[in-house]
Amino acid sequence: MTRYLLGRAGQALLVLWATFTAAFVLLQALPGDALLIKFQNPELGLSPEQIADIRVSYGADTSLVTQYLHALGNFVTLDWGYSIQADVPVSQQLATNIPPTLRLAVLGLALAVVLAVGIAVLANLSPFRWLRSLLESLPALFISVPVFWLGIMLIQLFSFRLKLIPVINPGFWEGLILPVLTLAVPISAPLAQVLLRSIDDVRTQPFVTVARARGAGDAWVLTRHIGRNAVLPTLTIAGILLGELIGGAAITEIVFGLNGIGQMTESAVRSQDAPVLQAVVMLSAVVFVLVNLVVDLLYPVLDPRLKSKVSV
Amino acid sequence: MAACGGSDGTSPATTAAGSASAPGTPVTGGTLTYLDSAAHTNLYPPSGGFYPNGGILNQITDKLTYQNPETLEIEPWIAESWTVNDDLTQYTFVIRPGVTFSDGTALDAQAVADNYDTFGLGNPDLKQPVSEVFNNYDHSEVQDASTVTFFFKKPSPGFLQGTATIGAGLVSAATLARPYEELGSATNIIGSGPFTVTGETLGKQIDLKVREDYNWAPPSAAHQGRAYLDGITLIVAAEDSVRIGSLLAGQADAIRQVEAYDEPQITGAGLALLRASTRGVNDSIAIRPDNPLVADLRVRQALLKATDSAEVVSTLLSDNYPQATSVLAKDAPGYVDLADKLTFDPDGAKALLDEAGWVPGADGIRVKDGKPLVLSIYHTYVQPQNKQVLQLVSEQWAKVGVKLEVLPGDAGSVAADNLDPAKTPLLVAMVGRADPDVIKSGFYPKNRDWLLQVGGSSTLVQSYTDTELNGLLEAQTAEVDPAKRLEIIGDIQNHVLDQALLIPIFEEPQIFAAGTYVNGLEFEAVGRPSFYDTWLSER
Repeated sequence: MTRYLLGRAGQALLVLWATFTAAFVLLQALPGDALLIKFQNPELGLSPEQIADIRVSYGADTSLVTQYLHALGNFVTLDWGYSIQADVPVSQQLATNIPPTLRLAVLGLALAVVLAVGIAVLANLSPFRWLRSLLESLPALFISVPVFWLGIMLIQLFSFRLKLIPVINPGFWEGLILPVLTLAVPISAPLAQVLLRSIDDVRTQPFVTVARARGAGDAWVLTRHIGRNAVLPTLTIAGILLGELIGGAAITEIVFGLNGIGQMTESAVRSQDAPVLQAVVMLSAVVFVLVNLVVDLLYPVLDPRLKSKVSV
Repeated sequence: MAACGGSDGTSPATTAAGSASAPGTPVTGGTLTYLDSAAHTNLYPPSGGFYPNGGILNQITDKLTYQNPETLEIEPWIAESWTVNDDLTQYTFVIRPGVTFSDGTALDAQAVADNYDTFGLGNPDLKQPVSEVFNNYDHSEVQDASTVTFFFKKPSPGFLQGTATIGAGLVSAATLARPYEELGSATNIIGSGPFTVTGETLGKQIDLKVREDYNWAPPSAAHQGRAYLDGITLIVAAEDSVRIGSLLAGQADAIRQVEAYDEPQITGAGLALLRASTRGVNDSIAIRPDNPLVADLRVRQALLKATDSAEVVSTLLSDNYPQATSVLAKDAPGYVDLADKLTFDPDGAKALLDEAGWVPGADGIRVKDGKPLVLSIYHTYVQPQNKQVLQLVSEQWAKVGVKLEVLPGDAGSVAADNLDPAKTPLLVAMVGRADPDVIKSGFYPKNRDWLLQVGGSSTLVQSYTDTELNGLLEAQTAEVDPAKRLEIIGDIQNHVLDQALLIPIFEEPQIFAAGTYVNGLEFEAVGRPSFYDTWLSER
């Protein structure tokens, strides 16, 4: 187990280094750069000589290799530099923006799971065929609703028309209700679909027939036998969902004017703010690596048959 | 009411605005919730040209002088008085006693000198760039605690007005000592203004609190002493619908940037729509003659004639955006009415293109030497409805056989391509400043260099240079006689249109909206809000 963990950790570090390098190269390859975008800004009215001086002061005239080593060295020592566009330390930006995004993502995912499980369970327990089809068609509807549209509609309805929840200066929990809902709806769709599908698959397995033969009812079979087994494939798509979650959170943050990693990334992309983008890419890489690691480690816990393979 | 609309008083929305002219005795207290459409960037004062930056700096910093937004006269503020030598190379200011920055340090002659040396010369060690508004600055000399003299290499008639601009906001020594890359944090900006920054959530919100001991407003301000408001909560709300909806639902008190199509929502609900002129070069399309397609004067003139700016205004904008009648807005200093040179004349355009050898091809696009007359331009996200405006212009040009491609673009490509006349023969241009120097800011190669001349901002220019224009621009910056200076400004406008270097489309104001209970919301000379006189009555 220890060797397995060490191996995985080594792999993770390699992935992170490769990500850093790829991000650096790609950012360099883009036309223009953050310094150009910022100081070529007509509002500043700087002369070309002045812009050239500024570039030198930022070290933009040194060789790419030097810049890369410098950036990598700084990164490893957790000196993430300054956002070129906003002129605040990147670490400070992250500190401001990570907690709200985490809050939004965790609550959004939790609500999405509740929605997905709710849809799947209700569809399976439904005594009526029409209700089952209706519930089963919900994911298709949910996934086709654009996040920004949903957000704006919720704001218009609950905040501006019904005046139930303010968007400007809301209370802590008040401010989370609509964004979490906005985020959860599209995320719940793939979850519900996979869950519905795998419940159907598991239902045909021999052990279910055995359980039924012993006289178990629908609800009993679903919760005790099918549910546990149907969760595995659902868990596998967690990694994919993470991408959805990040994308959805970004749009949600922008629509609701929340601060968070999403809106920070959006503005950094617009201005090619390399230090911020490097940090964001690395942050996402770390999260992806960790989530996949956790999922891999959870598999044997949920499915004892996989345990032997792991401990070799 | 001050600053809303032109000095000619013809702006329709101004009269509709009930807020600032509402009767009643000002009430002290309350917090104003103000929504901006974008987060601020760097708050180094010379970066105040970006509207969200100016919106903050105007509340927390004071200027040496005050430009009366109604008369455009320069009045005393932190400087009680000043003298200027005959050739406008030495300006001496007497500083008002008793003014302090919010960190307690004195705003004396030394502090002013330190600020101006930084803005005028830049500070390479701290990466602080030179200010656009200070031309020919040489150095400062502190005479005594309350007297400072500035010296210039050449006459600098625009300097006095420059001391009144947002970009010349005075900050404490502690702020000047910070490297440029730390000046994005609003809490690091210490000024002497009526409000101070007490809190900041990066990219999202800034909390301003009134300075109780503030007692140095410009003498012509509506009141003296502390500001009426206890504080201002400035929130970034990028979504248009969220800003408008919040105001209509009473969650916000004032908002910046109301698009023309949203104006009826505001006026329909009985709220105040406020128009603040930017008094500079109109919203325009600049043409880069270095690109061979537009090197021929007749082609440029044809583009000018093919543009129906009246249709742009009536189709996409509102009465708040008057059709351009010159390079400069009507209420800009030095404006001359050149509407005759801007008449829409598609037949004339066709004739000029024929004459220049561009003949209609099979698909209607004109061709010469096997090359089609296809031009491209990047639309901006800053100018009002810029994409739609350019698309309409594209339709207008298509009627005379010119294809205009309106390109979106990431900031990197746009910044890089806009420096290459071969890739971008056209550029969206606009700049606001209530001084004749504004025209130099746009055209001069060492400034914004809209036309892309040799020796300017781009190394990719092959040969284009306009010595006559540059000569006029230099002459006006150094002209000592104000009347003569305005005369040269007139010559420049004539030259730019005669050479068809710019296609002015409309005057670009800033449009704000506020609740009817928001009183005394004022704007400085180029449309940044000032909350010093603002007060809230019963809702």
